Amino acid sequence: MTLDEALLDAHARDDRAQLVALYTKAADQAATTDATCFFLTQAYVFALETGDPATPVLFNRLKDYGRV
Amino acid sequence: MAKDVDLNILQTVRRPIETANGLPNAHYTDPDMYKREAQSVLMSAWAGLAVTDDVPQIGDAKPVEFLGIPLLLVRDRTDQVRVFQNVCRHRGMILVSEAKKIEGAIRCPYHSWCYGTDGKLVSTPHVGGPGHNSHDAIDKSLFGLIEVRSHIWLNTVFINVDGTADPFEKVHADLIARWSEFDQTMYHGGVGSRFTLKVKTNWKLAVENYCESYHLPWVHPGLNAYSRLEDHYNIIEPGKFSGQGTYVYRQLTGDDGTVFPDFGGLDQKWDTGAEYLTVYPNVLLGVQRDHAFVIVLEPVSHDVTHEHVHIYYAAPDTDAALRDRNSAQWKEIFEEDIFVVEGMQKGRFAPGFDGGRFSPTMDGPTHCFHEWVASRLSAYDAG
Repeated sequence: MTLDEALLDAHARDDRAQLVALYTKAADQAATTDATCFFLTQAYVFALETGDPATPVLFNRLKDYGRV
Repeated sequence: MAKDVDLNILQTVRRPIETANGLPNAHYTDPDMYKREAQSVLMSAWAGLAVTDDVPQIGDAKPVEFLGIPLLLVRDRTDQVRVFQNVCRHRGMILVSEAKKIEGAIRCPYHSWCYGTDGKLVSTPHVGGPGHNSHDAIDKSLFGLIEVRSHIWLNTVFINVDGTADPFEKVHADLIARWSEFDQTMYHGGVGSRFTLKVKTNWKLAVENYCESYHLPWVHPGLNAYSRLEDHYNIIEPGKFSGQGTYVYRQLTGDDGTVFPDFGGLDQKWDTGAEYLTVYPNVLLGVQRDHAFVIVLEPVSHDVTHEHVHIYYAAPDTDAALRDRNSAQWKEIFEEDIFVVEGMQKGRFAPGFDGGRFSPTMDGPTHCFHEWVASRLSAYDAG
């Protein structure tokens, strides 16, 4: 399953913990700063909503890019 | 002209009870009058919305409607119950559509703006473009959820929608003092101690019927055995609250002699005393030595009211079977009232009915409520 397919599957199952993980992975693989921040934002929002322990890490990564 | 006529009619309602008429038919049958009362009587006062046990744990959120307004009841991270308008400040989307636990933040399902349980706007994803989560035009500190003024008393969540009422403690100072002994920790009896009666009546008729004891021997004959009409007294505080009391409250007793534990520190008068009051406009309360109940009247339309009943006890671990019996007993009594309030609603379509007359001896609590409604309407029209 590709990352895109995995993301679609996680959305379909409304698996928010998995969405945090997959969007973080997408951010790590992105080629540009904007793409990275787009995926980090997606991961951060689902983490924020669910109280995921990754929330402060994701926030700080966005903050380092000046994107919060 | 119409307003002048209305004011004259309201003046007849506000006469001394011996010559007063009740509120005219339109106050029960006219959707436009219902909207007018929603503004002048329900939104401008401290109206009952819910009980705190609707959101028992930190992070619990429950969407509720009040007069068509979408609201969100939330128990925030500091254990405070708060009420917000249930809409995102971005595009007005409904934020929460069913009761849920907020684990982290309230996320709008449309563009994912996120809010804390304290209502603060904490994230605006992509608002400055993809991956850009801020914009100079969007100051997060200005776009938190719109909070509705609220106050908790006796586990009941009261709201003042238009924000104009005096503080709850001031408006209801006499009532709070009267029942200060019951202002203590109370425990909701759980699932079996909450039920809702959906009634085809205007919300005011539910109040009117609850206020007085005049109907008891006719509508609740089962009470006659120990709680006769002469054992009751009227409670009338003009402009404030009204209801009834009894001198002969008798505890429910299980087959093995079990009774509910008493609330702590009560005066001896409560050994056999009980009182039943309406906190104007729409909360019906009852207190006894060993349990209390809250009925929040939800006005759904001019002729539909939902009565949300909750029963509370002095301890968290009362006898379950006895609780069920108590719930069944109260439910039977409240259901006995349904044909009356629905019958009066139908009766309000008789064009010759002039609001009716009051028994100066027996109907004081009801007249007190009518006088209060009329005074609110008059003040609203004048102001």
